[in-house]
Amino acid sequence: MSDALKSFLFAAATCLICTLSLTAASTGLKGLQQKNIAIDRQKNILKSVGLLDETVKYTHAEISRQYADNIKCIRVDETGAILTNDQSAANELPVYLYMKSRQIEAYILPIDSQGLWGRILGYLALKNDGATIAGFTVYKHSETPGLGGEIEKQWFRKNFEGKKIVDHEGNFFSVAIAKGNIADTVDKDRRAHYVNGISGATLTGKYLSSGLKNILAAYEPVSLKFRSRQLLNLSGKEKTCPAKEEK
Amino acid sequence: MKITQTKSFKIFSDPFLKNNPIFMQMLGICSALAVTVQLKTAFVMGLSLTFVLAFSNLIISLLRNVIPRNIRMIVELSIIATLVIIADEMLRAFLYDISKQLSVFVGLIITNCIVMGRAETFALGNPPGLSFLDGLGNGIGYGTVLVAVAFIRELLGSGRLFGYSVIPRSFYAAGYEDMGFMLLAPAAFIIIGLLVWLQNSIVKD
Repeated sequence: MSDALKSFLFAAATCLICTLSLTAASTGLKGLQQKNIAIDRQKNILKSVGLLDETVKYTHAEISRQYADNIKCIRVDETGAILTNDQSAANELPVYLYMKSRQIEAYILPIDSQGLWGRILGYLALKNDGATIAGFTVYKHSETPGLGGEIEKQWFRKNFEGKKIVDHEGNFFSVAIAKGNIADTVDKDRRAHYVNGISGATLTGKYLSSGLKNILAAYEPVSLKFRSRQLLNLSGKEKTCPAKEEK
Repeated sequence: MKITQTKSFKIFSDPFLKNNPIFMQMLGICSALAVTVQLKTAFVMGLSLTFVLAFSNLIISLLRNVIPRNIRMIVELSIIATLVIIADEMLRAFLYDISKQLSVFVGLIITNCIVMGRAETFALGNPPGLSFLDGLGNGIGYGTVLVAVAFIRELLGSGRLFGYSVIPRSFYAAGYEDMGFMLLAPAAFIIIGLLVWLQNSIVKD
């Protein structure tokens, strides 16, 4: 057998064995991993409305229970109307609701934005006035650790709390990430719509700003309902989100 | 002959202090800077690297007589990469929060020079048992440095160890403040530098 052939055969055998062991590891552990991911999402939804203390570690059961007690997921169509069990729309949007004594305390939008290196997935919670941000979390991103990766850190996420997505006249504005510190770069009367940027991660900020704007714009009909106080209670007939609503 | 004088023991224990991969060979510095802000991540990173290193050494040593020389490095890399991905999948299944914090750094074990370096310099020329011990020793040597650096950084930087506050509140009340600098990468550089100095003054040929 020639040396070249031997090399080829050896390479092929190595590839085959590596592939098989990777497949085994990946399929064998998939169940556990997906459970972790699901719990992590619930945790982030709870975190976005401030239901979890970020310094405390919770067990999976505690998170699931908190989630089941406080959070409801409904679907709305493009006009912001809540879909009931028997309805379906071409473009259904999921909305998570934070229920406090049968009233909607806050509503939570899933965030799926482009980032510099990949998608940024997270949640943005808005108070029931339809204008004030209650919290922001990120559960998945591919940004550079230490630079764009800071978007998942508490100091950055905290800046979103209390920001307004509408201006003084009540027009939609969205919320954006400033370049640098808002005290230096943004006019005083617009600071309510901006959060401090991350130095060294201007592009991440830019992509996330436009991603947030798109999502907030898509959900604007829902926000309008909250702003005009049309939406505070649920009838109980809402179409709930299927177990796997996101990829 | 006492166990401390056997060749296997020497191979296993040398990388702790005398020939530590970080101190003496200056390998694996990149991840040492990145994951040492907290003890927990440093510990898991050390463990993952030890796992990958020990088994890559073992497998490569078992195959050392059959690997064709011209594709040697590619084969080594595929074995290392496979092990790293398995380690990453395990972390995702069993230690999800930590795996999120470690983010890309587990994947970057593939590029950690220690793994390739040990495969090339040791596993290709030594029997499997010794290679496995060499991998274990180097992995633990690397992990020890990581944990030592993380201990200093977490204690001084955030007043915690393994996430638990250890500095009494009365200290803070009396005006003590955490050193924010310790949480930044340059702090790891300085601590590693100081540790190298310390190690060189202890180990003198």
